[in-house]
Amino acid sequence: MKPRFFAFFLLGALLLMLATLSSHALPNHPQQATSKAGQNAPPPAKDTEPFPQVPRITAEEVERLAKDKGNVVLVDTDDSVTYEAEHIKGAVNIAYDPTVEAREQDQLLSALPGDKLIVFYCNCSHEEDSAPMVLEMWELGYDHDKVKALKGGLTRWEQLNYPLAGTDIDAAHGKGN
Amino acid sequence: MQCKIPAIGIASSNIVQYATGYNFKYNNGMPIRYVSVPFPFTGQPRAVDVGYVSGKDMLTGQPLMTAVVHALTAPLTAEEMVSGAPPEEAVEPRLLPPDSEENLRRLFEDKEWTDFNSIILPTEKRVTAMLKGTSRKPDEVIKTINITGGARQLTVEKVAISAVMAGASPEHLPVILALATQAPFGNSTSSMANMIVISGPIRNRLKFNCGTNAMGPYNRSNAVVGRAFALMSKTAGDLRNNVNAWETLGSNLQYNSMCYGENEEALPTGWDPLHVETGFKPADNVLSVGMGWSSIASVGASQSIYPTHFLMRDYMSSFCASGSAATLVMDPTVAGLLKDVHGFKSKAQLSEWLSQNVTKTAASYWGNGVIQSTAVPFALEGLEPYASWRKLPDDALIKPFTNPKAIHVVVAGGKVQTMWFVTDFGIRRGVLIDDWA
Repeated sequence: MKPRFFAFFLLGALLLMLATLSSHALPNHPQQATSKAGQNAPPPAKDTEPFPQVPRITAEEVERLAKDKGNVVLVDTDDSVTYEAEHIKGAVNIAYDPTVEAREQDQLLSALPGDKLIVFYCNCSHEEDSAPMVLEMWELGYDHDKVKALKGGLTRWEQLNYPLAGTDIDAAHGKGN
Repeated sequence: MQCKIPAIGIASSNIVQYATGYNFKYNNGMPIRYVSVPFPFTGQPRAVDVGYVSGKDMLTGQPLMTAVVHALTAPLTAEEMVSGAPPEEAVEPRLLPPDSEENLRRLFEDKEWTDFNSIILPTEKRVTAMLKGTSRKPDEVIKTINITGGARQLTVEKVAISAVMAGASPEHLPVILALATQAPFGNSTSSMANMIVISGPIRNRLKFNCGTNAMGPYNRSNAVVGRAFALMSKTAGDLRNNVNAWETLGSNLQYNSMCYGENEEALPTGWDPLHVETGFKPADNVLSVGMGWSSIASVGASQSIYPTHFLMRDYMSSFCASGSAATLVMDPTVAGLLKDVHGFKSKAQLSEWLSQNVTKTAASYWGNGVIQSTAVPFALEGLEPYASWRKLPDDALIKPFTNPKAIHVVVAGGKVQTMWFVTDFGIRRGVLIDDWA
């Protein structure tokens, strides 16, 4: 049987190769790698809300909960430079990067407390960057009602003149160098 | 965003090859200039880091600061002025040309499309037969995997290829497709590993081993499903040794990812199976994947002088407790003792007790590299409990497993010994296998 087995291949049975390589996409263009959806991409149509399964919470509700210290954890999903410049006061930073595997953030995400409401927000119009982080938190086992996305993101927070922090805010108030 | 400010990367010697390699080199649009310092540098005494600064660039041999100034000021080369999309990597054909089995095996090894155990060569006929195990279309995209410098689509057909190579049968394919949603496996310099737990009636239908030797090389289903994870992770995840897989020691667990079934039939009354604990129905067929690094085994029989959960508590104190993650795997006899003798009426009660009783010193907690890179930024940003823990004296005791829901308990084994493992594996939400039938 052995010679026939080899002959099977020699006579031309095509081997499927690991087709994982056949659809290899181009490496990301630099602008794609660094831009935030809300900054460079056109906003989605008014009626479309990405990730509709992700629950939203209003800025007004978050602000009310934030006054009750410790009840809510805010997570800014912008890159660290943008976070340092301006973020919601008290927020921590876990940057959303669509170009890396979501689970590469798991060590950071799973360090967030499991017994508090966690609210992700982005500097984008329809939670394009914060909503995927909520989904990843669900994958990590966090309760669905304990993780939400801030509706309207940082923009809405600013519109309501709620507290901000960061170097840009310090500079505006004359606290910078 | 272009700031038009000269910038360079400084990478340690362990990783600079990766930084200057093809994929990452072009990832930011133009080749970045690097200067390299010895490894390790994080967490080292200040004098060591100062020595690096006054030492030499590992790439050029120049004094480090001279290399920094040169890299920042030397005119751009023609290669560095490249713009637009980066060069495209060669795309492999879907089908290989005919060749001898020996040559094809060599090719698969040269390309690192294997785990270097012998594979079943994935002929078109074999893959077609494998695809009969699912109603899904071969070209359906299961997920897009972001790899260094790009992305790859993991399709049903590609997973079927891995299933063939691993030695699986068509009836295994839905399980392996569910597993594919969790691919690729961990890839970190700190040498991760994974755990695959099968829950629900499918354990018996496919004869997964949940009893004696559940975690050993004694069962086909456990073996082929676990192995398929390694094969699809390496191929779809483009993981090649010293190219983009940089696990300094690696983990032997990655050959099989600890694939086993829970011994649901032997659970004490009141203890729910893993998938039920995480929100699924008992009749659901679910695959759960965990990720971690460490596993510590009990040795010998349980002794009444020091109850089992005390030993579990002690052993868990050596884990980093990142994300409060832990998974305990125990023989049914251990579960029975914990319930009947020590009063843990459910898995959740045991998890809660461990969360409240595992302690470690602040110094031990902050002395872990993963904690340094995750919890320290949170502490500096004021997030509790990290901010308060950061201010504690080194010998102060903390309770690092703050989230009992992240401490999972799985019962497996053949009631031959009061044996258990504690691991630092964090288990992600399970995947419904029936969705992939």
